[in-house]
Formats: sequence, structure tokens, C-alpha cells
Amino acid sequence: MKRARSRHARRSGVGAAIWMLAAAAMLLAVSGCSREGDGLGLPKGSSVLRLADADDVPTLDPAVGYDTLSWSFEQEIFDTLVRYGDADIELHPDIALSWQSSPDATVFTFHLRKDARFSNGHPVTARDFRYEIERVLSPATRSKGIEYFRSIAGAGDFIAGRTRHVAGIIIPDPYTLVFHLTAPDPLFAHKLAVPFAAAVPRDAVERWGRDFSRHVVGSGPFMLKQWIGGERIVLVKNPWYFVKGLPRIDAIVDQIGVGPELGWLKFEAGQIDILGGIPPAEFPYVMRTPRLRRLTLSQTTISTMYLGMNCQMAPFNDVRVRRAFNYAVNKQKLIAVLNGRGVVARGVMPPNLPGYDPNLRGYAYDPARARRLLEEAKIGPDFHPTLWLRADPTTVILAESIQQDLELVGIHLDLKPVAWGPLLEAIRQPRNVELFLSGWEADFPDPENFLGVLLSKQQWGGNNDTFYSNPRVDELLAQAAPMTNLKKRYALYDQAEKIIVADAPWVFLFHPVSYVIRQPWVHGLVLNPMRPTRFERVWLSPHHE
Amino acid sequence: MKRRAGTMELVGGAMVLSLLAVALFAPWLAPHNPIRAVAPTFGNPAPPSWAFPMGTDELGRDVLSRVIYGARISLTVGVAAMAITMTIGVAIGLVAGFFGGKVDFALMRFTDVMLTLPGLLLAMAFVSVLRPSLLSILLVIGIVSWTGVARVVRAESLSMAQRDFVLAARALGASSPRLIIRHVLPNVMPIIIVMAALGTSGTLLLDASLSFLGLGVPPPTPSWGRMIEQATMYFRVAPWLATFPGLAIFYAVLAFNLLGYGVLRRRSM
Repeated sequence: MKRARSRHARRSGVGAAIWMLAAAAMLLAVSGCSREGDGLGLPKGSSVLRLADADDVPTLDPAVGYDTLSWSFEQEIFDTLVRYGDADIELHPDIALSWQSSPDATVFTFHLRKDARFSNGHPVTARDFRYEIERVLSPATRSKGIEYFRSIAGAGDFIAGRTRHVAGIIIPDPYTLVFHLTAPDPLFAHKLAVPFAAAVPRDAVERWGRDFSRHVVGSGPFMLKQWIGGERIVLVKNPWYFVKGLPRIDAIVDQIGVGPELGWLKFEAGQIDILGGIPPAEFPYVMRTPRLRRLTLSQTTISTMYLGMNCQMAPFNDVRVRRAFNYAVNKQKLIAVLNGRGVVARGVMPPNLPGYDPNLRGYAYDPARARRLLEEAKIGPDFHPTLWLRADPTTVILAESIQQDLELVGIHLDLKPVAWGPLLEAIRQPRNVELFLSGWEADFPDPENFLGVLLSKQQWGGNNDTFYSNPRVDELLAQAAPMTNLKKRYALYDQAEKIIVADAPWVFLFHPVSYVIRQPWVHGLVLNPMRPTRFERVWLSPHHE
Repeated sequence: MKRRAGTMELVGGAMVLSLLAVALFAPWLAPHNPIRAVAPTFGNPAPPSWAFPMGTDELGRDVLSRVIYGARISLTVGVAAMAITMTIGVAIGLVAGFFGGKVDFALMRFTDVMLTLPGLLLAMAFVSVLRPSLLSILLVIGIVSWTGVARVVRAESLSMAQRDFVLAARALGASSPRLIIRHVLPNVMPIIIVMAALGTSGTLLLDASLSFLGLGVPPPTPSWGRMIEQATMYFRVAPWLATFPGLAIFYAVLAFNLLGYGVLRRRSM
């Protein structure tokens, strides 16, 4: 079903395995403030938040973007019907003032506010939402968000080109929007909180066509002023934004091509106000220095890093070997290598995901037990498995730590660092990659987004890259998915997770904690565990550059 | 004059021998296993201390032991790649110089073409295609660095081929292969030895560059270039991680250069 996005700016193709640290490391990058316009035509005295990123933004078109960097800008430029809070994962009104779902979770009705306008002055109506969802569903767009809306009645006919509109999206009046689904989906409202479901003005899209990404028009707090590829992106305040008094800053300038090390130097020099990727080497120094430590913010992300074992390839088709690996890997050490920026994983689900079971025991570090299990499974010293991983420095260090641990139980692990795209391609092929390092970040806060997406048989060749399958788990997942009673729903997912942990298709590694550091004159900044940081409430007190 | 050249050679030779000894006796010389964690300095490399004279890295490994074991990889690559370089370069140079004419023209134009390609970029392209492993690194370094050797050997054998003793052997009915191997090769041998010593330092640096770019021998095998690459992340807080392997590369390159120039200088006395 839905695929989490790649956390890192690398556009991951489909699928969402994310290698998070890199993510955390580069994503938020930097922002700064300047009191003059930097030749941007802003009045003197404007309050400017300067951001910087290692990589250019892949796209600003909300029908296309499916990575954190694109989303972080899209959510500033566009509005959705509902959205998450700045710091929480509850649904809040955005363009929709209120909404209801039918008791069986097949019909969803949204009542829109009437004062929202696009930055070109046109009012935002229900048609603009239907237009965007139909753009995503249209095969010509080749959107990765298509899975989000396939369950709307009539989506299949629309995709096949048999109807002009999706029959299940009904607009009784310009400010009411009704969705009819083919099957119960208690999570449907969450799917309307992703940028794929943002309001987009038809005239602007039709005017610019494929070039819309460079000329985006939305109704969000900011609008695009300038985008020089590989150099910078400038957003300025949208005068039409419906929340009076927001945003509190006049502009955001994002400088592109600034990696974590350079970002740190610029931060220290006061040229940058918020730095997302504190380089690992500087991190202990920051934590030791009270002045700097006070400037940091941290947040445990709703994500899980894991070492996947292909359950269809010998000897990993033997559960004893998979359990042995779980006992052999020292997860505390991995977190120490990351300078404490993580929480040991005991199962699939991260601690701040609703439905998380705090009593799950998982696998302690126990090399002696690992050796016994390997002996029972008759794994000899000539066993040389290969671990595939993303070729970035932090990931390689983590892999080397795992390599050290396995060496202690007599397994010589070979490492194969490859680029992100090829890694995702390779692990998707059956019986191709026996071991790989990967991760997943939630698209919306529900166990289904982890268990169903990553470990059901349905997802073989999709996101279930370990080719794990247990009929009992599949049965529980199918039972739980349409269930609206949260208590019962979570109980079923909990049962499924316990079986999965016992079957151990992954070595459950850790849940990353992301850190951000900001200058003392930055106020109102909060982190969200699941979504990029929003800037409309951030403000800057007077300071010298 | 003569004595000074000898000193250079001797010092270089002694340095090379010391490197060989370190590489050969690494398991006895290294105080720790170079791969295992021996100190809990995870994510927070420790500076040099009495227990760990070169400090420990972000995975708790002893830097001294890694530098010692690194000599093995560096020397293996340096010497073996040089052997491949010399084999290709000497063969092409001898044949071109001995036969002259069209053969010479064809081989030297081919060499010129190879010379126009930047060595490091070519090596990176080859390694990316072949996948990094000890063998592929050796082959790649050999394949990209033979051109200089070929030109020098060709010039030498060109003049040798005209000497009276070669003409005499030819008059006695010696075949071309015999002439090349028995008469020309032994006489260009000294220059080959010099080229080999000087070239080894070049291959050492190329290997370090490839490792630094993440294309060297895969981890956890300690190699000096890779150690420096991993240390760049920590350069501001733990400069010793990069300094010691850097000094090791400096020492090795200096050793082979001193040896090479020493021999060269005595020859031209």
C-alpha cells in the first residue's frame, strides 16, 4: 500500500526504506536570518530565515515529491485538508474546518473554510483538492502517491481512463468534499495529510505543464520567489495566507550545496541559524559544551533501522540463524557509535507510534547464545555472508561495528557499500541479497504503516525486502486493517508483531533520534517526530550577524 | 660524491626493509587485533595514550595496530601493482625499441593515447566496473601506470639494438626473442630497477587515493588510504586518526623514492 518516503533527499524511487541518519544529518539543514534582503528585493529590516542543504530539492510539485526535502518545502507552500501539529502526530484542521467519517469508515466528509486563497488571489475550493488527487491518480503524472488514493471508489475506472472524474469524490457545494471508499479505511483522513493531497490551482498547472515545479502556486504560508538550481531557493511570505499574523518571518533563503561539515562551520560563524545535521564528530563536543547543548532540540523519530535477512535464502531460511544474528549484534554499541542518537529497538514499531508495546522483550546482546544457535544450525567458519548497505560514511561505520560483533561469534561478514538507488533495486529482487541495512519512517502514525507495508506477503517485491511470510501474521494484518476500534486494532497488531519478533526476519537495530541546533535568536522552533520542521511560527529576535 | 649517493640508497633500502619487516611480522608487532574493539571509544575517538600510543578510533580499534597491519596491504598493493606495471611497460618498451619502424610507431602511439587519459580517473572507472577487491586494485593500478615505463625502456632498448654486441649476436643467427631476452633486457635492467623503485611510491599513492575515494580494498581490512578517508569526518576533533596513517604513507613513499634516486644517481656517476 502506501510507501514511506525516502527520508533523505536522494529521491528513493518508490519505497521508503530510509537510511535515516543521513536523513537526519542533511535534511533539516540550516536556516539563518538576515536583516537585509541579500539583493532579493526584500525591504531592509526584513526578517529572513536562511536554510541550507547539501542537496538540491528534487521537486516542489506536490503530485511528484516523495522525499523529506521536497516535503519540507511543499508543506510551506501548499495546504492540505488536514495536517499534523507542529510537534505532534494528531490530525488538525488545515483547509478543512471539520470532518466526519461514517461508522464503517467508508465515507469521509470534509467542510472547508471559505477564506483560504492561493497566492495568486484565487479562492481555494473543493475542486482544487479533487483536481490534485486526480492528477496523482492520472497515469500520465507517474506519481508515487497513487497508492494513497486507489481505495477511493471509482479510482480504478479513472486510472483506466473510463471516466472524467473519480466517481467516489463528490462535491455537493464548493466548500464540501465527500470521499466514498471501496473498503473500510480508518486511516483515510491521514492519507489526506500528505502533500500528494494538497490543493493546487488548475490554471497554474495547465499554464506551466511539466514546469509547474518551478512555478508552483499554493495557499500555504509561503510562496516561491526564486529557485536557482543547485544554488538557492527563496520563499517569501504569502500575503493571502488565511492565518492572520503568520508566518512570523518574511522570507526563507535555502542555500544549496552545504554539506554537514561546511554547515557546522557556517553555524559557528553565525551565518546559519538552524543546523539539522550536526556532524557526528562534532556531536560529543556540542553535548559537552553547556552553551551549545542548550541550543539543541531533539526528537525520537517514528522510524526503525534494521538489518534485513532474506528469509528465502539459505541459511537465513533457518530461524535459528536469524535469531543468532539478533543475539550477536550489540545494539548499545551502535548507539554509542552514533553518540547516543538512537534508542535500541526491541521490535518493529518505534516507541512513539500509537500501538507500540512497551513490554516487548526483543533480543538482548548475548554472543554466547548466538554461538550456540549457530552451532545447532551447523554454521561453520567458512560462512561468509555479504551485507549490502548504502555507501555513506555513517552507514559504513555502523556496518563495521556489526561486522566486529559477528566476527566475535565466528562469522566473517563482507561489506558491500552501494549507492542508494541500486541498493533499493537489488533488495527488491527475490533471492538476490541475503543481508542488507535499511530503515523505514512512518508516513502516518499507525502500526499498519510498519507491519503491513514491510512484512506482509502482499508486499513481496514491494517493500517486504526480506521476503518474510507467515500465514498467521498475514491473517492478523488483514483482520486489523479495516478495524476502527483502536484498542482491538492495536491488540491484533501487537499479536502480529510478537510473532514477527520471534520469527526474526530482521535484526531489530534502533530508532534514530534527530538533533537540531539553532542560534539563540531563533524562537518558536519545534520538531515533529514524523514530518519535516515547519517554519511559519518561527521568529527571530534582533541580533548581530 | 659517490659516497653520498650510496648513503641515499642505503637509507632508502633500510627504510624499505623496515617496512617489509613491519608488514611481515605484523601479527607479532601489533599490540592488538586491528579489527576488534579494544577500548570503549565508540563514536568518540580517544587521543594517544600510554596504552594506545596512536589512540583509538570511533569503533574502539587501536590505531597503531591498524597502521601496522596497513603496511601489509599497502606493500602488497605497491609491490604487486608495480610488478604488473613493469611487466606491461617493459614488454611494450622492449618490443617497440628493438623492432622500431611500424611496430614502434603503433606501440608508441598507443602509449601516447594511454598517457592522455588521467590515471586516477581511469583507475576509478575500472574499479567501479570491476568492484573493489585486492586483485582488481592490483590490475587496475598496473593497467593505468605502465606508460612511463614503456617510454623509458623503449628509449634504452632503441639504442641497445644498434650496439655492436647485438649486431654480432644477430649475425651469428640469434632469433629476435633471444636477442631481446638475452642481450637487450640485461642491459636495460638497471634502469628498470630504478623505475620500479620510483614507480612503487607512485602506486602506493594511487592505492591510497583510491582507498580515500572509497574504491580501495573493502573494510575492515585496514589500509592507510581508507583510514584517512574515515578520519576526515573526525578531522577537527581527532586529527591523530588521519595523521598517523598519513605519516605512514609519507614514510613508505620516501623510502622507495630514496632507494630509486640513490640507485639512479650512482648509475649516472
